[in-house]
Amino acid sequence: MTEETRDQKDAMTPATLALEAASGRPQAPARRQGRVRWDLVLLIAPLLILVVAIFDVPLLNTLYWSTVDDAGNPTTEHFREFAESSAYMRIIWRTLVIALEVTAITAVAGYALAYWITKLGRRLRMVMLGLVVTTFWVSILVRTYAWIVILGNAGLVNRTLMDLGLISKPVQFLYNELGILIGMVNVLLPFLVLPLYAAMVRLDERLLQVAETLGASRLRIFWQVFFPLTVPTLAASCILIFILSLGFYITPAVLGGGKVPLVANMMDLLINRFARWEIAAVVSVVLMAVTLSLYAIYQWIRERSA
Amino acid sequence: MNARSRLSTVWLTVVGASVLLFLCLPVLIVAPMSFSSAQSLEFPPPSLSLRWYENLLGNPIWIDAGKNSLMLATLSSSAAIVLGTLAAYVLVRGNFPGRHLLEANFMAPMIVPSIITAVALYIFFARIGLLGSFTGLVLGHTILAVPYVVLIMQAAIRSFDIRIEQVAATLGASQRQILTMVVLPNLAPSAAAAWIFTFVMSFDEVVVTLFISGTTTTIPKRMFSELMLQVNPTITAVATLLIAFNLVALAGLLLLTRRRGFPGGMG
Repeated sequence: MTEETRDQKDAMTPATLALEAASGRPQAPARRQGRVRWDLVLLIAPLLILVVAIFDVPLLNTLYWSTVDDAGNPTTEHFREFAESSAYMRIIWRTLVIALEVTAITAVAGYALAYWITKLGRRLRMVMLGLVVTTFWVSILVRTYAWIVILGNAGLVNRTLMDLGLISKPVQFLYNELGILIGMVNVLLPFLVLPLYAAMVRLDERLLQVAETLGASRLRIFWQVFFPLTVPTLAASCILIFILSLGFYITPAVLGGGKVPLVANMMDLLINRFARWEIAAVVSVVLMAVTLSLYAIYQWIRERSA
Repeated sequence: MNARSRLSTVWLTVVGASVLLFLCLPVLIVAPMSFSSAQSLEFPPPSLSLRWYENLLGNPIWIDAGKNSLMLATLSSSAAIVLGTLAAYVLVRGNFPGRHLLEANFMAPMIVPSIITAVALYIFFARIGLLGSFTGLVLGHTILAVPYVVLIMQAAIRSFDIRIEQVAATLGASQRQILTMVVLPNLAPSAAAAWIFTFVMSFDEVVVTLFISGTTTTIPKRMFSELMLQVNPTITAVATLLIAFNLVALAGLLLLTRRRGFPGGMG
């Protein structure tokens, strides 16, 4: 084996893993021309059977549940009940608003962090990226739990603020929308920072040098050259974060204290408390349709900018 | 550098460092808290003790949850590695019609929100009698691990020089020999990395587990239900152990992939 192929083979660093996980898309497939090798196709059968039986069929079964009544006849009644209920619609609306807020905050904060890291020296860059990847590896549950410790009434933040005399009684960070926002942004930041950093580093430096030679100010270079070149990656990452926000379950449950239910928590209640499987199935189908449409846009942006 | 651009550099440093601190704060704060002697979640801890670890290790419910989690993660990531590696090989080398459709199908569990998978598996398993069974749980976790294995192994196989396989074929090796004696041994480091990755994912999984596990308890499930009831410092000890566990796994992954240097693959 040559040194080069060995290098390529081991190119899966955690950072690329995280990136690929975050991007949700395998590298562009290398097309190879040649005859079809049917002997190999048999090797794929076990996985195909598993995925069809334990993933495809259950999802189709959900679709079926959303469209039939108790006697098994096709009906649109469940969808109508869902659409006409103001309680469901309120939760859907709040989920959309929170997902938008989370996406906006993550985009601004994450862009600043990624940009800052590119400005650091080589060694420091590695350390900072290492920190981002490390947090990415710690379980969502643990990171969500930690906010209770940090933001609780006797937590680090409230205690510090009170010691400094800035507030007289604890600020209520938890068990409301603010707590959910803080927790979700914290979990989702790496999904934006890692791809954005990669895009910024890939950028052709000569373009910036040309702008500088032509006498553009640093601010102007940033807004008219650098930023537009990073917009496709920023847009794709924002869509990804929005999709992930829509399905969030743990953070709203823990940091919202059950007071601010989002779509996923509503599905939990429908299944585990009210046993309204057919409505849960309707919500699944709607959420799935939204997710897949957004995912198609996400892929389209990535392919266009690739 | 003029005064204005120096000011913007200072601003960038302040903002960037604050965001990084915000990102790392949860990981930094939990560990010291777990050694606190206090019943309440005070920071900094008034004095140090190991009482929450003693509490944790002396509790058979947590020990049982730990055993279940280990067993579940081992079985599901092993199953995913075996099936996923074979499938990845075929996807890269097979060149048959419908290949992209199959690939998309294998990737789907990663894209579909886990709450949808959870609801779908709940209803389906309830119908076929697998709801609450350990088998159902292993199957569910395997499905969640499949996309990552296929992704990682496809990349590994793609960068494995096909000419080496062609040489083996020229020398008279059968397809089976090529696979078992040439390809798979060379893929072992990537497979190990993928195994660690999916093991950790399974070990941390909450949503699907909550829906389909019935009375079986895993560590994250137990942690989640305790969190919903009350804030108990024992959880801090669990969280610290989980962080340590994930970091050890990350280090293992780094060791397996160290030749390229740490974030070098990102540049």
